[in-house]
Amino acid sequence: MTNTSKTTPTLVMKDVRAGYGDADILHDINIKVARREIVSIIGPNGAGKSTAMKAVFGLLNVRGGSITVAGQDMTGWKPNKIVQNGVCYVPQVNNVFREMTVLENLEMGAFLRKGDFTAALDRVFSLFPDLRERRSAMAGSLSGGQRQMVAMGRALMLDPVLLLLDEPTAGLSPKYMEQIFEITRSVRDTDVSILLVEQHAKQALTFSDRAYVLAAGQNRHEGTGEGLLADREVAEMFLGG
Amino acid sequence: MTLLELMNFYVIPGLVLGSIYAVGAVGITLVFGILRFAHLAHGDLATFGAFAALAVVTASGISPWAALPIAMALCALIAIGIDKVFYDYLTDRPKIITVMASLGIALMLRAVIQVIWGVDTETYSRGLVRPENYWGLRLRDREIFTMLAMFAIVGVLWVFLQKTKWGKAMRAMSDNPDLALLSGVDNRRTTMLTWAIVGALCAASGFFLGLNTELKALMGWTMLLPMFAAAILGGVGRVEGAVLGGLVVGVAEELSVLVLPSEYKAAMAFVILLLILLVRPTGLLKGKLL
Amino acid sequence: MEIPGILIYAMSMAIFMGIYAILALGLNIQWGFTGLFNAGIAGFFAVGAYTSALVTSALSANHLGGLDLPVPVGWAAAMLVAGLVAWPIGKICLRFRSDYLAIATIGVAEIIRLVIKSEGWLTGGARGVTKIPRPLASDNYALSELSYLALVVIVLFCIYLLVEKQLKAPWGRMMRGIRDNELAANAMGKNIERRRLEAFIFGAAIMGLGGAMLAHYYRSITPEAIDPMIATFLVWIMLILGGSGNNRGAILGVVVVWTIWSMSEFVTDQLPEEYAIKAKYMRVFIIGLMLQLVLRFRPEGILPEADQKSAQRRK
Repeated sequence: MTNTSKTTPTLVMKDVRAGYGDADILHDINIKVARREIVSIIGPNGAGKSTAMKAVFGLLNVRGGSITVAGQDMTGWKPNKIVQNGVCYVPQVNNVFREMTVLENLEMGAFLRKGDFTAALDRVFSLFPDLRERRSAMAGSLSGGQRQMVAMGRALMLDPVLLLLDEPTAGLSPKYMEQIFEITRSVRDTDVSILLVEQHAKQALTFSDRAYVLAAGQNRHEGTGEGLLADREVAEMFLGG
Repeated sequence: MTLLELMNFYVIPGLVLGSIYAVGAVGITLVFGILRFAHLAHGDLATFGAFAALAVVTASGISPWAALPIAMALCALIAIGIDKVFYDYLTDRPKIITVMASLGIALMLRAVIQVIWGVDTETYSRGLVRPENYWGLRLRDREIFTMLAMFAIVGVLWVFLQKTKWGKAMRAMSDNPDLALLSGVDNRRTTMLTWAIVGALCAASGFFLGLNTELKALMGWTMLLPMFAAAILGGVGRVEGAVLGGLVVGVAEELSVLVLPSEYKAAMAFVILLLILLVRPTGLLKGKLL
Repeated sequence: MEIPGILIYAMSMAIFMGIYAILALGLNIQWGFTGLFNAGIAGFFAVGAYTSALVTSALSANHLGGLDLPVPVGWAAAMLVAGLVAWPIGKICLRFRSDYLAIATIGVAEIIRLVIKSEGWLTGGARGVTKIPRPLASDNYALSELSYLALVVIVLFCIYLLVEKQLKAPWGRMMRGIRDNELAANAMGKNIERRRLEAFIFGAAIMGLGGAMLAHYYRSITPEAIDPMIATFLVWIMLILGGSGNNRGAILGVVVVWTIWSMSEFVTDQLPEEYAIKAKYMRVFIIGLMLQLVLRFRPEGILPEADQKSAQRRK
């Protein structure tokens, strides 16, 4: 949706300070996501992982720093304007319309699109063949993994440049977890950058291009997935030695 | 008592009354489901609609049925106006504050009705209408039309909610408001649309009540409890549930005369309300529980 | 001794204010401290009025009761029966959001109205109950008024102290906790439902007492004595305007609203007849509008709840 040159990073969070109400949770966070890159944020509970992601999506007050998506400064924008500019967000829970069919869920994802959206629909269905089969089923009746597919599919209906996934594998069986990671990679290969928050640090690092480790609302480490996996300090912090 | 008598004296009047409740209950269930509060001014808005139709009839001499769309449009505008002037400012506060505001609106609407139209009972047309006989079933034209109109109105609404973009947006809002906002659904427009539909439904239910009984300032207020009972019985947020609930409450009220003094007809709705909250608070068709 | 009419009028106004203040304190327990929406105040009020009337009046062929018992027994009975009516309603509805309670209390008030109107053997039907004894009455009209006023003030004061004491007790702190943070309160589980039920019944009993006090003041009670919707609504606007959660605010709200209400009646009575009736409805309109204005511009009321933090959280 937004025109960018090949070198402009999709997301730049620079010195972001933010929080709910008056208290700051994020202290000068810096995160960058390049084009066609999967970046994960990991860290202990309460590190501000999800908060960092919500800050990108305008869901809380950003009091300092800047958030730029594909060259466009979006600091302080409202979520609906951010959606229109190519950023889609998949919440961790309650991320489908349970009493609407799979197809209707995807249609809601395309709500802001003008005109025909069959191309986007086809793309989502080719990423998630299961959904094509179950298009008339109520989203609430699907399994956890399929529901996560609906949630991601809904977000992809707007052809975003940046997809934000909040713990996409939470509560899923290892089989589905693997499937979601795989799908995430194929989404990236359709030219979408992805920022995700993960509890399962090891798996996240294995499959991400790069990762950030947050602790107490601050940047702690960053690097490639493999690099961080090899880092002793990181290993001690999260990976159980 | 023969089956025909049971039908003629209890079931048919019950279904007619139930159709009237159903139209109102659909509005209540929409407000409950999408805007998430109990709208206590619903009945008095219905009264307003009924009298607005009367004003059109007396001023222009057209048939009451022709006045109905005008009254519905007027009530739609008034409902939007009430929301913009009074409820809109309370969105960020607990929903119960809006419930309270709506109780005040009920009183204000009633006062306006009493000032404009007085407190005398009125009717759309004078004279007694004898029911026609259809294979032993006795039905008045207006009763047939009331039931047909209910199904037509709810049918149109149903198609709108299922098939159109904004109809789906309303359902999405009712299903998962946060996600609807994330998907870019404009909250203000959905709210406005909801109020327009709810206002029109109010006018229709008031009109049907006035057509089948008579118009008076308290007519809507006395309908409030049965309408809520119907909406909760059917399942909050469920349009088809509200219709089912409305018909059940209507028939139950008429049948109650068989065992209770007729003064207590109105108590049936209350009994049904408490029973459903006790046994199955999500309603027959598994609606929301706020 | 000649008492000027204006003073007598003032006394009767003060009595009404006292009775409404009792109702407002009852509502404050339910709404102000617990967040329970009771839209059927008039119902509990009527139950109290009729109960006390039937218990204390002399035997009559027109209605049941006529036990001729002392007035305090009647008042206690009024509280008891109003609380008993509240119990099943609360039991069923307090598990859900207060919207459901609002609807159910509208319903219960309606049923009570129906019973009072249709069960002549019990309530005297449209004729109501007459010859209800007024405590401390004497042949001197002004003195009767004055002593009843004193009685109302004493009762109000006792209730005020009782409610304040309850609020400062752990019970009251817990209630506010429940109101302000349902999530945290839910962790306490079943206990909450019980506490809420207690608050609902306690408030309803006080409303019943208010009704009884009005019946004994009027010396009679009929189904038409109070317009249920207006009475209920007046109490609401009194509490909200005065400051819900604050007992002194509630009483102040009563004084302000009742003064406006009776003054406006005074004004509308002066109008020529054709306007007078319409003006009567405009008064109701204005009271409704007043609530909207208070909710919008001063939701915390004239005297906000002392604990600012919890008041703010509710905004």
